[in-house]
Amino acid sequence: MVTSPLLDINGLKTHFPTSRGLVKAVDGISFSIGEGEVLGLVGESGSGKTMTGFSIIGLLDKPGRIVAGSIKLQGRELVGLSARELRGIRGKSISMVFQDPLMTLNHVLTVGTQIRLALQAHERLSAAQARKRAIDALALVRIAEPQRKVDFYPHQFSGGMRQRVAIAIALLHRPKLIIADEPTTALDVSIQAEILAEMKELVAKVGTALIWISHDLAVVSSLAQRVAVMETGRIVEIGDTHDVLTNPQHDYTKRLLNALPSRSTPGQLLARRADVRDAAPPPRQPRKAQATAIGEPFLVLDSVSKQFGKTPGLVRSAAVRAGLVEPESPVRAVDGVSLTLHRGEVLGLVGESGSGKSTLGRIAAGIVVPSSGSVRLGGAPMMSKDKAPRKITTAVQTVFQDPFSSLNGRMRIGDIIAEGPLAHGLIKPSSVGGYVAQWLAAVGLDPGFADRYPHQFSGGQRQRVAIARALAMQPDVVICDEPVASLDVSIQAQIINLLIQLRRDLDLSFIFISHDLSVVRHLCDRVAVMYRGQIIEQGRTSEIYQAPSQAYTRRLLAAVPALPAAAVSTN
Amino acid sequence: MMSRESGLYRFWNDYSRNRVAVVSVVIILVLVGLALSAPLIMPQDPYDLSHLVLRDARRPPGYVGTGGYTHWLGTDAQGRDLLSAIAYGLRISLQMGVIATGLALAIGATVGCGAAFLGGRVESLVMRIVDLQLSFPAMLLAFVIAAVLGQGKSQLILALIFAQYAYFARTAHGAAAAERRKDYIEAALSIPLSSWRVIRRHILPNALPPLIVVATVQVASAISLEATLSFLGVGLPPTAPSLGMLIANGFKYLLSGRYWISIYPGLALILFIVAINMVGDQIREQLNPRLRW
Repeated sequence: MVTSPLLDINGLKTHFPTSRGLVKAVDGISFSIGEGEVLGLVGESGSGKTMTGFSIIGLLDKPGRIVAGSIKLQGRELVGLSARELRGIRGKSISMVFQDPLMTLNHVLTVGTQIRLALQAHERLSAAQARKRAIDALALVRIAEPQRKVDFYPHQFSGGMRQRVAIAIALLHRPKLIIADEPTTALDVSIQAEILAEMKELVAKVGTALIWISHDLAVVSSLAQRVAVMETGRIVEIGDTHDVLTNPQHDYTKRLLNALPSRSTPGQLLARRADVRDAAPPPRQPRKAQATAIGEPFLVLDSVSKQFGKTPGLVRSAAVRAGLVEPESPVRAVDGVSLTLHRGEVLGLVGESGSGKSTLGRIAAGIVVPSSGSVRLGGAPMMSKDKAPRKITTAVQTVFQDPFSSLNGRMRIGDIIAEGPLAHGLIKPSSVGGYVAQWLAAVGLDPGFADRYPHQFSGGQRQRVAIARALAMQPDVVICDEPVASLDVSIQAQIINLLIQLRRDLDLSFIFISHDLSVVRHLCDRVAVMYRGQIIEQGRTSEIYQAPSQAYTRRLLAAVPALPAAAVSTN
Repeated sequence: MMSRESGLYRFWNDYSRNRVAVVSVVIILVLVGLALSAPLIMPQDPYDLSHLVLRDARRPPGYVGTGGYTHWLGTDAQGRDLLSAIAYGLRISLQMGVIATGLALAIGATVGCGAAFLGGRVESLVMRIVDLQLSFPAMLLAFVIAAVLGQGKSQLILALIFAQYAYFARTAHGAAAAERRKDYIEAALSIPLSSWRVIRRHILPNALPPLIVVATVQVASAISLEATLSFLGVGLPPTAPSLGMLIANGFKYLLSGRYWISIYPGLALILFIVAINMVGDQIREQLNPRLRW
C-alpha cells in the first residue's frame, strides 16, 4: 500500500500482573487495517481478542497495561497518550460497540439524552440541534419512528433495537474506526442476520473501518474482508477471509474449523482435541423390564400450558372485581403444546429467545409444574397429584445451559455426582468412590478430580461434571437446555461428541433445546420449532432443514450465518 | 482438603494486610484466653466468699492485700480482686454471647432459608413477623423478655436469642432468596432431592458467608446487651457477676474517686466489643462477593 494504513499495530503486548503471576493477555501482535476495511478478529475465550480491542481504544482496566509495541492511528502514536488525549480520540476517531447493550446503555436516561451527551463530549451544540442529530442517528440504524423513539428508555427497546442504538451512538461522530466486540452474540439469529446486513451497508455508506471481534467464524466470514485468528494472546493466522476459511494454514485455525458442526456429517463425531479419553460408563442398575420399546412414544406432553403472572393481591383483586382496574393478563410462556419424545430418539427444540422453549423443557424435566395439561413418562404421570405437585421419577434428568451456575460451588464434584444416587438408593455409601470415578472417566475427566471444587475447572469440564451428575441418576431421558451455548467451539465439539457417544452406549432419549440450528441438525433425529409458546412445525431433521413448511422456520434457517460453501466442503 | 487449606491460607494472607484487624484478633485471643483460664491463673475466686476480706474493700490499684498478692486493678466494695473479677466476668459474658448468638444463628438461618425456599404465603407471613420484630430496638425486646422471665442464665439466653434471631433470619432470607433462583437449585430439584436436603446441603452453605459476618458482630452486640441488662438489674443474678454487673456495682463509687471499680470492667468490655467489630468488618470486606476468587 502506498498510503499509510488507518491503524497500524506493531508488536503490541498488554500484560496483567496479578497475585498469581503475570497474565499476558495480548502477547506481541501486529496487524494493520486500511480505511473502510472490515477485519474480523476471531478466537476462543481467553485468546485476548477483547483485550486487543480495549488496548486500541485505551480502556484497559488496572492493573493491565501496554508494556510494549505501538498503536498508530493515521500515523499518530496512541500508546502513552494521557487519559485526556485519549478521551479526545475515543468516541470521535475510534468508537466501540460492546456485547451487551443492556450493560452499556444507561437505564435511567432516555436514548436521546444519551446521544446528546455523546455528542456534547466532542462538539458544542444546542439541545434542539442535538435532538435532531439523535433522530437522524436513530434513523440511520433503521429504528422505526425515530421522532418518538428518541424519548424512550433503553428498557423499552428489544435486545436488537438496543444494540442498534449502541451502534448509532458509536457512529455519531463518523469515526475512522469502530471496534465491535461480539455485538450480536447475545441476540437471536434472525436479529443477528439483520444487524449484520445493516452493519455491512453502514460501513460502506459511512466509510468507517471496522474491527469485528467474534468467536463465530461464520459471522465473521459474512462480514469481513480479512480475518485474524487469535490464540493465547497471539495472532496465529491473518489473511483474506475466504483464503483463511477455505485453506487454513495454521493447525489452530484448522482445529477451529473442524470443530464446527456445520462442516460435518450429521450424527458423526466431530474433530476434537486429543486430550479427551474414552471410557465406558458404569453398568446400569438392573431395573424392572422397560415397558417401552425403542421407537415407541415415551415422554408424552399432552397440551401443556404454563402461564406466568402474579396472583393479584387482596387490594388489586378487589379493585378488579369492582371494575376499577383491568386484570393483569398473564404471560403464556407455553400455550397448549403437545409433544412426544420416542424412546431412543434425540428431539431438537428450536426457537428464538422468548419462544417458551426453556419453559417447555423445564416442564418436561419436572421442574416447572404446568398450569394445565399433563406429562407422562412411559404411561405413568411425572408429578405427584398433591396440591403442590412434586416430581416423582428419577428417569428424567436435566443438563443446564450455564455450567458455572448449575453446579453448587461449595460442594466437591464427587459429592455433586454422588448426592442424587445416594439419596435415591441407587448406590450404597460404600461404593460411592468407585461409582463417581467411573462416571468421571465416562465423561472424559480424570477420576482423581472427585475431591476438587467446581471453580477449579474450565467451562467445558464443568459441563462434563453436570452431564455426569445427570447420567449418574441412570435416567432414560435427558433434557439438555442449551448445553453448549456458553462454551467455546472446540469445547462445544467435545460435549456434542460426548452426548453422541453416551446416547449410543446407554440407549438414552434426549430433548435437546438450542438456538443453534447447526448443532441441532448435527445431533437431532427430529426437530420441533417453537414460536410464541406454540410448536408451529415438527418433523424429521433432514426434512425440516430441506423443506420447511412454515415461513417462520424458513426465516430462521435463512438467518443462520454460513461459512463460504468452499469452506464447508473442504473437510 | 488441599483446596480448603489453600483457601484458608489465602484468606489469612489477605486478612493480615489489615493491621488493625490483626491487632484485634490478638486482643480477642488474649481476652478469651484470660476468660477460659481464669480459674487457673487468677489469684482469687471472686465467687468464693471465704476468699473475700472486707478489710481489702475499695483499695486502689497496686494495693497488696491480706492474701499477700498485689491487686493490680484494685478491689471492689466486697474486697474482690478486680482483675480476677474481670476475668471471671468475661467468662460469663463470653459464654452468654457465644451460646445466644450460636442458637440465634441456627434458628434465624433455618427460618430465613426455609421461608426463602418455600416462598408464597409461608414466606410472607414469616418474614413480616421478622420485619415487625426488627422494627423494635433489640434492647427493648430483650429487656421485656428478661423482665418477664426473671433473672438467670437460661432466661437471659432466651431473651438474647429472641432479640437477635430476626437479624439472622433477615440476612439468611436475603442470601437464600438470591441463591434460590440459581441453576444449581433447579438442578437439585430436578434430580429430585427433598426440600429439606436442598435447604441443608445447597442453600444454607451458600447463604453462610453473610451470616458469618452478622454472627461476629452479633456476638459483640449480645455481650453488650447482656452487660446492659445486668447493669439494669434484669440480667444475671448477683451470684454470677458478669462485666455489666461489675460496672453497675462500681457505678456509685465513680464520683467518690474510686474510679477503678467501674472503669476497668468497662474498658475490658469496650476493648472486647471493638475488637470483635473490627474483625467482623474485615471479614465482611473479604467475603464481599465482588472480591471473591
